[in-house]
Amino acid sequence: MPREEILLGNGAVALGLLESGCQVVTSYPGTPSSEILPEVIRLVKEVNLNTYVEWSTNEKVALDNAFAASLTGKRAACCMKQVGLNVAADSLMSAAYLGTVGGLVVISCDDPGPHSSQTEQDTRFMARLAKVPVLDPSTPQEAREMVELAFSISEEFRIPVILRPAIRVCHARQNITFGEIPRPDRKGSFEKDPMRWAATPRFRLLLHGELNRKLVEIAGKFETLTRYNFHSLEPGKGYPLGIVAGGIPYSVIHDLLLEENRSDIPVLKIGTPFPFPESLASEFTAACERMLVLEETDTLIEYLLRDRQKVMGRLSGHVPAEGEMVPHVIYRVVNRVLTELKLDPLRGVDDQAAMDLVKGLQLPVRKPTLCPGCPHRAAFFAIRKARPKAIFTSDIGCYTLGLNLGAVDTCLDMGAAITMASGFYHSFAQDGEERPIVATIGDSTFFHSGTAGLLNAVYNGSRFILVILDNLTTAMTGMQPTPALGIRADGSEGKAISLERVVAGCGVDYVEVLDPYDIPRMVDSLKKAAEYVKEPEGGIAVLVARHPCLIAYRGREISRKKKVTITDKCAQCNFCLDRFECPALYHDEELGRTGINRTICSDCGVCLQVCPKGAIEEVEGL
Amino acid sequence: MDTINIVLCGLGGQGILFMTKVLAQASLDKGYNVMGAETHGMAQRGGSVVSHLRLGEARGSLVRNDSAHFVLALDEIEGYRNLPFLARGSRLYANTAAASFPREEVRAYLSDREVVSRGVPAGLIAQELGAPLSSNLALLGYYAAFGEGPVSPEEMRATIERISPERFRETNLRIFDAGQEKGMGEKNA
Repeated sequence: MPREEILLGNGAVALGLLESGCQVVTSYPGTPSSEILPEVIRLVKEVNLNTYVEWSTNEKVALDNAFAASLTGKRAACCMKQVGLNVAADSLMSAAYLGTVGGLVVISCDDPGPHSSQTEQDTRFMARLAKVPVLDPSTPQEAREMVELAFSISEEFRIPVILRPAIRVCHARQNITFGEIPRPDRKGSFEKDPMRWAATPRFRLLLHGELNRKLVEIAGKFETLTRYNFHSLEPGKGYPLGIVAGGIPYSVIHDLLLEENRSDIPVLKIGTPFPFPESLASEFTAACERMLVLEETDTLIEYLLRDRQKVMGRLSGHVPAEGEMVPHVIYRVVNRVLTELKLDPLRGVDDQAAMDLVKGLQLPVRKPTLCPGCPHRAAFFAIRKARPKAIFTSDIGCYTLGLNLGAVDTCLDMGAAITMASGFYHSFAQDGEERPIVATIGDSTFFHSGTAGLLNAVYNGSRFILVILDNLTTAMTGMQPTPALGIRADGSEGKAISLERVVAGCGVDYVEVLDPYDIPRMVDSLKKAAEYVKEPEGGIAVLVARHPCLIAYRGREISRKKKVTITDKCAQCNFCLDRFECPALYHDEELGRTGINRTICSDCGVCLQVCPKGAIEEVEGL
Repeated sequence: MDTINIVLCGLGGQGILFMTKVLAQASLDKGYNVMGAETHGMAQRGGSVVSHLRLGEARGSLVRNDSAHFVLALDEIEGYRNLPFLARGSRLYANTAAASFPREEVRAYLSDREVVSRGVPAGLIAQELGAPLSSNLALLGYYAAFGEGPVSPEEMRATIERISPERFRETNLRIFDAGQEKGMGEKNA
């Protein structure tokens, strides 16, 4: 019997990569893409392939590496989240002109919602900007099949191809029947052709022409892909309304129309939105008086449909311009359009009473928080205590949740803790003002894009404190190793790169490594660092606050566990709840003071250093 | 076969993904096609988490409002937050230590919609058996006991036995059994 497994969408993509004979997979972790590479590694180990895998230091690095592998004739892929593609955009735009040899697939995962991203941007527009084809899967199974399609298009037309699964594909689960995983035997070779691979602007013009011609041909090819692009029109029949959909919204509308028995509403499914299958769309347009476009997250199909008079979508105000297209949102959109066109409405979703009821309950918002015992909490507490008036620039990772401790003022993009700190410094220095600035960045984010900003800040004479929150892992995205650990993606040994040597190599003269669990020392070190920043010969002071992540290093993360209790000295001042914000501390109504949730307390004992009344005490034998 | 829609909710860190995995695998073994959606990323750090499971012929991974046959809530408040998912005549199972469940304000709505709600102190059950973080298995056992879902208690138990990591297997089964026993007691009462 063939093997069947319930796979995460990202696992289905991983399976598709190996079924397609992909030999090189690179990635930088980011929700919702993070599980693709680990799933590749799991399968590679099971069937004993020699696939090259790496966690690259960032997405541009990942794409450049995969591009070179493609030039040796092998199939290569790189995986990232949608905002990661911004980092890799430079590489993508150029690679589109140069073309490829072995198939090159860029997997960029979108996050409508957004659930875990700074924007809701639409990767399909990046594909349009770069002039490369993009495939938009609507289920894990389709994503898996589209991987092979992407490779074959890439090799037939010598062009990078983007696969754009959205979060509800990436983090969907579906039962998938495994196919054969081949043992790819392509050997790398490289034919020198500097006119192409190192093309100067004059040749780039020619390559641009070549790229444009490829797109015309690919559009023709897409017209024939009836498995991914199709409609449900009956020959010769006209319709008052048709729906054009791609990606997750297609799956939603498919189920919805089936449940409602609405075969009177035809659907055009677009699996390859760019280059656009024009003829198929024209056929559909001709048969429908109006067309409602359902797509995530922006308006690509809506722009590409030529008959503006017929189209209803985001531009016409019929579809919400932001937020996820979840089933009840799509339901309401469709019903509104049906009503407007005086067509039979759907039976309706009976959820308004429930939504009003829930609203009336005024349920507490459960916002994410740093885990009990998280070393970042100790670091943020000390930072706010030592430098209460500072501007706190921060960055992307678990530690963005330092917001809850009042120790994060900004979060722009990867690496911006450092670049914004220098930007703030210069803007104030210009007025002769010395504002204290404390930047916080995680270890993995520092390796991703901290160094260029730090070099720049040192070179241009910025002055601030940089705290690198080093928890020895990439925590938020699922505990991937960092370059400092000497462990590579597949668990094999790599060269460990010293974070503090990198910092020193950027020209920083003041570096101290310390454990944030020791709050008095953290406070003391921050004050000394602040002095250095102000000295005539001073500059940027870097503190590496190093303590292992409690999830990644469970059982090895706390050298001496301390059981704590809260005594009657508790004055209910709520200082610990507001400023330390540990989920294990709560206001106990019955006791009339702060209580400890022993189920989730990590016994880190850091809160012993927090209570101004000394009401938190260590106890033996609890 | 009509699609069975299940919503599992709670807070990040309560083991919703494992609970979803057990239900999904047991259903697949029974011949259902499985489609579902999970929460990863930032919300896993203690925020509200919802997991969707659709068994049968579904293409979309999300359960629509007003169409869930079951809502399993590892946290009472999260159960209330997800009331809009409940279809008429559906079931709400919640982990709660409260003396009275569901709370007053929602009772009329639930009875109007013919929704049967059942509360169980899953956290306490798990705590008594020495694994306070395993309320997910106690709730699963309790839910299984009523025999309303797609898979029987025996099938669910076999799946837990198969997919639990070695070092948690025995405890997981004990907690599942205790939850089931609690449910059986109520069912037969």
